[in-house]
Amino acid sequence: MAAASVASALLAVTRKNPVHSMLWVLTLFLHVAGIFLLLGAEFLAAVQVIVYAGAILIFYIFVVMLLDLPDEEARPRFGKHWPLAAAVGLCFAALAWLVRAGTGVAPAATRLAAEGPPRGGLSAIGMALFGPFALPFEMASLLLLAAIVGAVVLARRRAAGP
Amino acid sequence: MIVPVGAVLGLSAVLFGIGVFGFLARRNIILMLISIEVMLNAVNLSLAGLSRHFDELRGQILALFVIAVAAAEVGVGLGLVIALNRNKPGAGVADLTKLKW
Repeated sequence: MAAASVASALLAVTRKNPVHSMLWVLTLFLHVAGIFLLLGAEFLAAVQVIVYAGAILIFYIFVVMLLDLPDEEARPRFGKHWPLAAAVGLCFAALAWLVRAGTGVAPAATRLAAEGPPRGGLSAIGMALFGPFALPFEMASLLLLAAIVGAVVLARRRAAGP
Repeated sequence: MIVPVGAVLGLSAVLFGIGVFGFLARRNIILMLISIEVMLNAVNLSLAGLSRHFDELRGQILALFVIAVAAAEVGVGLGLVIALNRNKPGAGVADLTKLKW
């Protein structure tokens, strides 16, 4: 599943047709949801499928179809500096990998987590979300409201006046 | 089923690198936004893995907030893309030189 997600991410950033790229990103999201399930985060997996694969990706596909990019195929899909970009991406990945090796987290598998009852179910998440995390939750709702208003203002057709 | 957290963090690192590469190399604004989504997914993956490793729920809560922020970012970003496209068709970053001084 990890290999499949890496492959689909690579295909997603390298395909020429934006719609194909969207579909590869969809497979990436579904694989990441499967990894969430393996990690015992069932609610997170459900949110991943519903919000990411269901809502966000549909939004992207709508915009791609709306904009109707005809010249994407004709132009080079990467900039001139794409080897530099690849180097920077490799550097980031190597840095994260080194940090992973340095923290000492890596050798110990999740031994203590495997014994207890599975966390990450709906009730545990809900209790935590409305208990100690109530204030960030409300702030997230405020942020989403601001995003809705901002998107409407940005995408609105200019009024007839000045 | 026991998933080693090191493997999860390694996968997260690789996905984040792919996202950075896509963001820097693509010329289409929409695909740059998609690369940002790939990066956010990598971060969510590492959050979930560490939350499992330390038997904490905070990582998953944080991942939920990351998803909410991603939704907000997508809304505003695509609104910007539509607004730009109305003024000037074409979604390449090379076309957007209006803010250049």
